[in-house]
Amino acid sequence: MSSTTREEVLRHLTAVAELQPPVQKTGKAPYPSDMTHELFRAYTRSPHDVGGEYDIPCNWSDEEPEAWGYRAYVTTEVLAWRGVWCAEERRRMQNVDLGTTQYLGLPYYGRWLLSAARILVDKEHVTLTELINKIDEVKKRHEPR
Amino acid sequence: MSHDRTHHAHLATGKGDPQCFKGTAGPAKFKAGDKVRVKNMPDIFYTRTMMYTRGAVGEIAVATHESPVPEDEAWGHVDKSEWFYIVRFRQQDLWPEYPAAFPNDTLQTEFSERWLEAV
Amino acid sequence: MSNDHDHDHDHGHGHRPPAPMVEEISDFEALEIAVRELSIEKGLFTAEDHRRFTEFAEHIGPTPAARMVAKAWLDPEYKKLCLTDAIKASFAVGVDWLNPTGFGTPSDYTDLRVLEDTPTRHHVVVCTLCSCYPRPILGFQPEWYRTPNYRRRLVRWPRQVLAEFGLSLPAEVEVRVEDSNQKCRFIVMPVRPVGTDGWSEDQLTEIVTRDCLIGVALPKAGRTSNIKLPIHHAVNPAHH
Repeated sequence: MSSTTREEVLRHLTAVAELQPPVQKTGKAPYPSDMTHELFRAYTRSPHDVGGEYDIPCNWSDEEPEAWGYRAYVTTEVLAWRGVWCAEERRRMQNVDLGTTQYLGLPYYGRWLLSAARILVDKEHVTLTELINKIDEVKKRHEPR
Repeated sequence: MSHDRTHHAHLATGKGDPQCFKGTAGPAKFKAGDKVRVKNMPDIFYTRTMMYTRGAVGEIAVATHESPVPEDEAWGHVDKSEWFYIVRFRQQDLWPEYPAAFPNDTLQTEFSERWLEAV
Repeated sequence: MSNDHDHDHDHGHGHRPPAPMVEEISDFEALEIAVRELSIEKGLFTAEDHRRFTEFAEHIGPTPAARMVAKAWLDPEYKKLCLTDAIKASFAVGVDWLNPTGFGTPSDYTDLRVLEDTPTRHHVVVCTLCSCYPRPILGFQPEWYRTPNYRRRLVRWPRQVLAEFGLSLPAEVEVRVEDSNQKCRFIVMPVRPVGTDGWSEDQLTEIVTRDCLIGVALPKAGRTSNIKLPIHHAVNPAHH
């Protein structure tokens, strides 16, 4: 078990390097004097605001949703139904707060789900400890023997 | 700050949203046909006023409804409302390279009142 | 969703498959279960709430919107209602926008607008910021509607994108893009096509496809389905 975890750790360190923005090649944050107004706006933009950006002509396709995706969608809507949050809080957390890397890199309903988990913690309905323990418990329930 | 999870259901049941905010924003500043420019206000942390509209001049197509603005609603604040408007732009005015061959093409999208100024 | 755990891994010989077994759940599946169970444990909602909303979500689809257009083509008074009070007009096609909560769905709100095409104006809808869509009357969005690609390009190069869906419009026709970025929700009411004289409401409903209601296709006599696209299948799809 420990060797599998160590292998996962080493693969993780490679994977996150591939997601770093190019400034990381200098090993440090840019100097404030290098930050133009244009760069400031680009970095602080709302990641969901993509209208008018360049992209390539594409072969359109469709996708069959996973069952967990529909269940996550229902959960986010029911949380709003019962007043835990409203849809606009969800959009902010799911489409902006996550940041550009997660915004473009995660599956669509994955972001819905992460935001639902996050609102439970942010509004103190659960502690992060409770969430972590529950995820761990669920995973253990489904481990092959 | 206590969070009353029944607030929105009490406010909107039987009415809907944004209908539940009807009458809460006062008089509308703009009306259909008015020429407006989209302001380029600071948009740190959250905006639903797309960058591609900033500084563009268009025409009010219709006043749609009163509602809390997304900048407030995104943090659960629904105590203040503004009028919302669909504004129509000529594509020729939005994009420098929009082909002259298609002079009639338009785009319309919605703004809360704070983002618009009379031209 | 059931998982079969009757595997007998012979750990004693030390050979473990490097990839996760199909029967293990993914990180997302585990998180989904965790969030739902915690929400119920903490009294935020009930399992019955989740079941009721699931049932609502399983029964939405594009037919009511298609029928709204068909009815409007046949009845000028109903068409006027669609254009002035689409929420009220929705009742005639079996959609009460206040369902299932009594105040509407949290994400779709209750301000539907119908965009009327004319021979000189064609509408097409996008939500550049996310994927806002009139689910109660149109069902779930196709995946392409949610992609950054569609959302980046439709507002700036609409005719190119429409051409990729097989739709080419004359230069004099006004292509009007609706960027659905706030609480209003939109469907397109296309022009009734030629070759449909004397058709019944059912026949007309059949040719108003979801693609027509978004605006990436025009209705055509004899075409009753959306554009055929390659589809990526789910590992564990929902079963409706």
